[in-house]
Parts: sequence; C-alpha cells; structure tokens
Amino acid sequence: MEMILNFPCLCILLTMFSAIISSALNRRWARYLNTFVVTLVGILSAAVLMFTLTSGKSYVYQMGHFPAPFGNEIRFGSLEAGMALFFSVIMLLSLNGGREKIRMEIDPGKEKLYYIMINLLLSSLLALVYTNDIFTAYVFVEINTISACGMIVITEHGRTIEAATRYMIMSLLGSGLFLIGICILYDMTGHLLMEYLYTSISNIMAAGTYRIPMMVAIALIVVGLAIKSALFPFHAWLPDAYGYSTVSSAAMLSSLVSKGYIFLLIKLIYRVIGFEVFFGSRIINVLFVFGLAGMIMGSVSAIRENDIRRMISYSSVAQIGYIYMGFGLGTGAGMVASAFHILSHGATKSLLFVAAVGLTDASGGHKEFDELTGAAYRNRLAGAAFLVGALSMVGIPLFSGFISKLLFAQAAVQSQGKALAALVVLAMSTVLNAIYFMKTVIRIYTPTDKKYEVTAFGYKVSYAITLGCFILLNLLLGLFSQPITNWITQGLTILQ
Amino acid sequence: MNHILLFPIVFPILAGIMLLTVMKYQNRKPLLAYVGTVLGVNALWGLFAMFRVSEGVTVFYLTKSLPIYLKVDTVGRLFASLMVLVWLLGGLFSFEYMKHEKNEQRFYGFYLILCGVLFGLDFSGNLITLYLFYEFMTLTALPLVLHTQTKEAVMAGLKYLFYSFAGAYMALFGVFFIGRYAKTLEFTPGGVIDPSVFRENETLFFVVAMLMILGFSVKAGMFPMHAWLTAAHPAAPGPASAVLSGIIVKGGILALIRVVYEIIGVDFLRGSWVQQWWMILSLLTVFLGSLLAFREPVLKKRLAYSTVSQLSYILFGLSLFEVQAMTGSLLHIIAHVFIKVALFFTAAAIIYMTGCKRVEELRGVAKGMPVTMWCYTIVSLGLIGIPPTSGFISKWYLAEGALHTGIPVFSWLGPVILLLSALLTAGYLLPLSMRGFFPGEGYDAGRFAGKEPPLSMRVPLLIFAGLTLGIGLFPNVFTNILSAAADFLM
Amino acid sequence: MGGNLVQNYGEVVAMVLFGIGFTNLLLQKNMIKKIIGLNIMDTAVYLFLAEKGYITGHIAPIIKNGDFSPDTYINPVPSGLVLTGIVVSVSVTALMLSLTIRLYRRYHTLDLDEISTRLKKEGR
Repeated sequence: MEMILNFPCLCILLTMFSAIISSALNRRWARYLNTFVVTLVGILSAAVLMFTLTSGKSYVYQMGHFPAPFGNEIRFGSLEAGMALFFSVIMLLSLNGGREKIRMEIDPGKEKLYYIMINLLLSSLLALVYTNDIFTAYVFVEINTISACGMIVITEHGRTIEAATRYMIMSLLGSGLFLIGICILYDMTGHLLMEYLYTSISNIMAAGTYRIPMMVAIALIVVGLAIKSALFPFHAWLPDAYGYSTVSSAAMLSSLVSKGYIFLLIKLIYRVIGFEVFFGSRIINVLFVFGLAGMIMGSVSAIRENDIRRMISYSSVAQIGYIYMGFGLGTGAGMVASAFHILSHGATKSLLFVAAVGLTDASGGHKEFDELTGAAYRNRLAGAAFLVGALSMVGIPLFSGFISKLLFAQAAVQSQGKALAALVVLAMSTVLNAIYFMKTVIRIYTPTDKKYEVTAFGYKVSYAITLGCFILLNLLLGLFSQPITNWITQGLTILQ
Repeated sequence: MNHILLFPIVFPILAGIMLLTVMKYQNRKPLLAYVGTVLGVNALWGLFAMFRVSEGVTVFYLTKSLPIYLKVDTVGRLFASLMVLVWLLGGLFSFEYMKHEKNEQRFYGFYLILCGVLFGLDFSGNLITLYLFYEFMTLTALPLVLHTQTKEAVMAGLKYLFYSFAGAYMALFGVFFIGRYAKTLEFTPGGVIDPSVFRENETLFFVVAMLMILGFSVKAGMFPMHAWLTAAHPAAPGPASAVLSGIIVKGGILALIRVVYEIIGVDFLRGSWVQQWWMILSLLTVFLGSLLAFREPVLKKRLAYSTVSQLSYILFGLSLFEVQAMTGSLLHIIAHVFIKVALFFTAAAIIYMTGCKRVEELRGVAKGMPVTMWCYTIVSLGLIGIPPTSGFISKWYLAEGALHTGIPVFSWLGPVILLLSALLTAGYLLPLSMRGFFPGEGYDAGRFAGKEPPLSMRVPLLIFAGLTLGIGLFPNVFTNILSAAADFLM
Repeated sequence: MGGNLVQNYGEVVAMVLFGIGFTNLLLQKNMIKKIIGLNIMDTAVYLFLAEKGYITGHIAPIIKNGDFSPDTYINPVPSGLVLTGIVVSVSVTALMLSLTIRLYRRYHTLDLDEISTRLKKEGR
C-alpha cells in the first residue's frame, strides 16, 4: 500500500516527461502516448482515490531532501485524488470526441505540438490539484495558462489568435495579482507551505495586528484566481476562445482549465486562508455579487447569441457565476455545492461542446441556428446527447444539473441574509437557461427539407462511444449524487 | 410485489422511447396495433396495481434525504383512473384523426411516454417525486404542442415552456424552503410542518405557500399566468389538445392539492392573506376566462379559454378549505375531464371532417353531423351546469361549500360569480348548437352533408357524453367516495 | 505613516511599479506596450521579493570558509523565487511576443481593439 503514496507524484512526472518525449515522436505516436498517459493517470488516480477513501486521511509526500517548512510537498486526500480522476476522464473523453476535428483543423505538422500542450496541461492541472506549496501553485498556474493558450491558438484562424491574445492578457493580469498576493503573504508569514501559512495567518488574525494587509493579500489572491477562471466582468475573451478553437480545446478549456483554478481556490480557502477567516471577510460578498451578476449576464448574452458554440460558451460564464455564488454564500454547504458544480458543469459542458460539433458538422459546418434546423435528425446521437446536456443545464431532475441546483438552493436557504437574492437569481437564471437551451433543442428537432452533405464524422464509433460515456457520466452524477456529495464533504473536511 | 407500481410508469416510457428511436413502421396498421396494445396492457396493469398496492414504495434515493417514493391514495387513484380512461379513448380517437397529420410515430411515441409520466405523477408519494414527474410532464407534453411545427405552434410551444418553467421554479423555490423546515416531504394530510415551527416563521411560510400556489397554478391556467394555455392548447393536433386540456392541466391541480393539503396544511392557511388572494385570483380567472371565451371566434381557442375559466372553479373550491367545496372540486375535476375532452373531440372532429375552425362558419353543422353535435350539446349543458348533468352537481357542491364557510364577502361573492360565469358559459357554448341545429335562412345545406365522423371518433364522444349524464343521474356513487377523500385531506 | 513609507522605500517603489505595470498591461492599446507593462509588473514583484530577502550587512548565501551561521547570509528562498519567477516571465513574454508577431503579420497593426473591430466587420 505504501506504493500508492507515490502515485500522485508519479502522475505529475509521467505527464511532464511524456510531453518532453512527445516532441521527439511523430504525430501518430504522440497521440498514442498521450492517450496512454491520460488513461494511466486516470487509473493511478482511481487507485489513490480508493486508497484515500478507505483510509479517510490525507497524506503528505515530501519532494526532494528538505523537510518542511523549507522543502516542497505534495499533499493528497480523497478530494484531490477524485478531482485528478475526474480531470483525466473528462480530458480523455473530450480528446476522443474531437479527435476527427483535431485531424481536420490542425496542420499535420503541428498535431504533435497539440499533444505536447495537452500533456503539459494535464501535468499542470495535477500539480495544481496536489501541490502543498503556494509558489509551486503559481508556477503551475502559469504553465496551465501557457498550455491553454497553445491549445486555443493551434487552429490557424484570426479569431483564435486574437482570442488567445486577449486570454493571455487577462490571465497575466490575474496571475500578476495572484503572484503579488503570494509575495505579500510570504512577507508577512515567512512560509510557502500551506499548513504553516494557515497557522501563521490564524495567529495574525487572532492577534489583530496586520489585519488589513492580510485581507489585502487574500483579496489579491482570490481576485487573481477569479479573473483567471473568467468570473463575470473578466470574461470578454471567453466566447471567442471557446467558440473558434478546435472542439477538444473548447471542451477542455471550459471544463478543466477554469475548474483547475477554482479548485486551487477551494484548496487555498480551506488550507491557507482558513474557513473562518475567509467567510468572516467581506471578500465573499464581492464574489457573491459578481457571481449573481454572472449568472444573469452570461445567460442574457447567451440568449442573444446566434452561434451555437458561442452560446454554449456564454453559458459557461453563467455557470462559473454559480460556483462563485456558492463561495459567496459563506457556508460549508455552499462550498460542497460549488465543488459538486465543478463536476457537474465539467461533465455537462464538455458533453455540450462535443455534441454541438456533431450537429454543426451534420449541417455543412455552419454554426448559425438557422442552418442547424433539423440537425438532430441528421446526427441522431449528437442530438440526443445535446438534449441530455441541455436538460441537465436547465436543471431537470435525474440529470446532474438538478443536483447542483438543489445543493446550491439548500445551501442558500441555510445562509443568513443571502437566501432570497441567491434563490431569486437562481430561479431567474434557470428560466433564462431554459430559454436558450430549449430553443436550441426545439430548433435541432424541427425537421427540414434542406439537404446537407453528410460528413462521415458524425458516425465514427469512437465519437459515439464518447457521447455515450458523457451521457452516462451525467446520469451517474444526477442519480447517484449522495455518495459523491458524501465524498466531497469528507474530502473538504480533511482538506484542512 | 409492491414494485408492480413501477410497471405502468416504466413500461409505456420504454415503449415510447423504443417507438421514437429503434422502430420504423412503414404502415399505419402495425403502428396503431403496437400503440393500442401498449395502452391497453398498461391501462389494465395500472388499474390492477393501483387498487392492489396501498403501501408506499421507495424506488431509490436521489440524495440521502430525498427518496423517489411512490404511494397511491384515493386522490391519486381518481386522477390515474381519469387519465387511463382519457388516454384509451383519446388513443382510439386519434387513430382516425392522426391520418391527416404527419410524423405519427413521433406523436404516438410521446403519447405513450406521457402516459407513463402521468402515472408517475399520480402515484408520487412525496414532494420531490411529484416535482420530478411534473417537470417531465411539462417536457414530454411539449412535442404534442409542437407537433404541427408551424410557426404558430412553435411560438405557442415556447410560450408554454417558459410559463411552465417559470411556474415550476416558483414552486421549486418553495420546495427548498419547506425541505429545510419540514421533517419529511412525504405527503401527509394536515401538512408536514410542525405548528410551532410554522408560527415562528409565519410570514416566510405564507410567502412560500403563495409562491407554490402561483407556481403550480400556472399549469392550471390561473390568472395572471394563463396566457400560455390559450396559445398552446389550440395549436396542438385535436386529440392532443383534448388530453392537454383534459388531463395535463389537472397535473397542476393535483400538485396544488398535494402541496396545500398534504404538505403545508390547510389549518395554517385558513383565514390568511394567502387564502384570500387565492380566492380573489381564482374568481377573477373564472370570470375573465368566460368573458374572453365569449368574445373568441375560433372554436378551439374558445374552448381553451373555457378551460381557463372552469379550472378556476376547481381552484376556487380548493381555496375554500372546506369539505363540501373540496368534494365539489373533486367532482368538477371528473366532470371537467369528461366534458372538456368531449368538447375538444367535437372540435377536432369538425376540423377533421370539414376543415372549419371558426364558429361562424359552422351554421348548419348539426344537419350533417347530428351525433357529434348532440354529444356536444349534452356536454355543453353539463359545463353550464344544467341538471341532470355532472356539472350541475359539482357546481352545487361548490356553491354550497362557499356559502357554508362563512368567510365574509367571498361566501356570497363566490356563488354569484360562479353563476355569472355559468351564464357566460351558456353564451359561448350554446350558439354553436343553436346555429348548428337551426341555421335559419340562406346557408349552404350541402356543405356538411354526410360529414359524420367515423365510428372510432364517435364512440369516444358518445362515451364521454354518457358519462357526463351518468354522473349527473347517479351522483351519490361519486360524492360518497369523494367527500370521504376530502374529509381525509382536511 | 510617512516614516514607514520612507523606511520601507523598496517595497513602496515595488508597489508603485506594480501599479504602473498593471495599468499598462490593462489599458495600453499597443501590444508591445502591453508586454512592456507585463515586464514592469513582473520586475516589481522581483524587486519586492529581493527586498524582502535581503538582510542588511549579510552576504549572498554562498558558503565561505565553512561558515554555516545563519547570521552571515541573507535569506536564500526569495532569491530562488525570483529566479523561478524570471523563468516564468521570460516564457510568458516570449509567448506574448510570438502572438503579437502573428497578429501583426495578419492585420498589420498592433492595436488589439482595431483587430477586434476588423474581425467583427469580417463577420466570421
């Protein structure tokens, strides 16, 4: 069993080295290697998850020779392992679903680079999930940003380059704030490892000195991560980046990259800042307000959009708003709801992106709604998958979206003073969601006489299997949510 | 053993999904045979199961505190029996009617799925199960509204969807609050909330109750959320508008009974502003619906407005929190199902045979379709409330109940408005009969000659007309059971 | 208050620089100026870290004559952080510059807003 303790570190190293090795391979072998590594990471993470779930503890793994408080550490409990498993599963599915598109849209000479980016992305995500050192977190945040940028820009298209540039600028602003926040924290506490930071911060807060600088530092970190995960007013780059990059990239950007930052934030809240300090501060009110604004504005923009991919992207803005609203509620239940929503939105949004590409391809590559009329009949499986995703987003019972709404609402009811605002906005946003998703569903199920050239893409077996897995994942989250919420609750408790 | 309750829910849903995805029928006959068999088997099994099983069945747990739980009681049996009857006869009727519509297979697929969902709604034993099937009812009824896929139908469908979702989320809002304070969400006559807890948070609970009443009554077309109904019901193909207006809207009523009587509890609400507003809104709807129906020239739309009005009779009866009025409401549910389905069948038969949609085009229609128009006339009299039809009995109970409550103003205002509305009902339903039978001078006699619909359309009409009369003639059979049920809920 | 500012002039300068860099990155239209802003911002952070790690009178942490006493050397951790940070910022800058080159080749302008409006006009 001691073996399993090495797995998280092994996963990070595996993905990093496979990125390096890929550069020496041809594109076919790079693809094989990537699939193999992502699968392996999934399996290893599953093993770690089983192990941590049965033991119910979290483990510290020392990196290098220096013991704490100087050295670097990895720390993992059940929540981290589960997230790693989830990330690798979604990554595998997104890649499989968009494989044909990757072949079609990316210059063959660059396909290898794409897989290098993917490997790097996974390694940085894993590092964000597992690391116990705040500066390491910063470094991997930047690696994450760079590889995400590479994934956007790899399709040669004016829009993607512009979107990638905007994405980089926003991200750099965010990571600048995050970095300076870390430095101020380091200045005040003298530590970079999370446990030691936690003790120092609670000492400082208890003593009452330096309360304001501490709050400033925390605010900088939180705002930095919020900017990076495209919280409402900072989302300008998002529709272009998700809408015009290749479909696997879009699916991964929305369900992995931004979620990686959010998970880091959850970890920082519990392990560094401390639950009480964070929820006692006014930062959560700011997050709450921006979250609510995002829930409404994202949906409103989505309604006005005439391009299916961009519509789904705007819906992401709304969903990120949900997550920050959950943080803003200031209760443990809110955090559980947000953590569950990371999973539910990750599973649903990547499903929607992958299904949407099947629909657009069955409509001669057009993404406008007029052309998508009847697309669900031309590619039945993609239509069904889109339907499942849409129902989940709208929050119909039995699908994953309903459970997250339920958890958010339950959390909201328990919180003081914010219940009404949260519930009203939740209801409004749900109805708005219903408007644009059901409109699309009706549109794609309206028969038309117009003939389109049917591409072989929609009928590939791997694409069908991917969609099937996505649908199953969604139903799984919707039907058997209790063990999952139990796991999240337990994971959050031992996160500290 | 108790799990046989699941069969009538799961079987038609699976059969419907099969029909939508896997099966490909080239000819009508095998398709109709398939649909008929599924409906028949399901009806028998459903009736058997619901009268056999009276314990609850927990299917599975959505979350730890939210089980999907099925339990059959008198109200559930009432709604389910009505649904089965309408579904069978509606199916029979549609076999002929759907000849002139496209995409039959899709229609029947959703028709079957909806049957299963409605069984689920009627059997649900707690609030979250009810909500689940309620949402699915909204969604699976949508394709029926959209069926013709004209621009009008799509707009009506969207309107229907948004009103329904808005309503459902107002209700869900309440579910969350109640979920926090209640010990259980299982339906219990008298409510699930502790009186002391209720008194502490009185205002909150009143707001929640009002929201849930407003939310669920969207389905029942209560003012101010009634606009979708008059758009959606006429847009659907004939048999579909009949089941929408007859059964689906009753889903809202069932949900209201469950929430008000078995979750919140009437003792808390009696005399509160919630009750007052509910009464005001339902009376307003009774009157407005009739008035609008009176002015409407298109037959199906007129019938839809009539549904709006008649459903609020039921809602008014429910809002009085009184046994007799409640009995009246339950009786009016039965009466309205039979009558409204028959009325929509008439409208569908007329459209199917002649293509006429507006009332003024139908002068002399009874000369060609006497059986149809006789049925129409009988059920119209029932809806107006002329003895010896079912409508008379139910309205009598409603008015008696209202007078009996002794609530100031409403105890006499209610019956007055019911009476006024009955006059308006006569005003909008009977002209068609009168003009139909006595067209007067100068109409085209040959236009309707020999347009009597085929047997499979006439039989359902005759059955419903007969039932309308039957209840009026032998009311005691029903009133005894229903007043016992009403008594149980108080 | 004023005394504090004078005493900690290094940190003050770092914060002012950070602000300048941040606003430049955020508000400048010209891509190159944005990148310069980015670099100013990063440099400010390094200055801040270096200032924090430096202890007056101590020397760089290179062991001389077997002297292991912590009183001789400055804190080495911030220096390590600065080095790591520099690596990150160099790679980010390189990426930004390469993006800028691509944009310039396509649109012959360095103004991001103009590119956006042009893209919208193209309508694709």
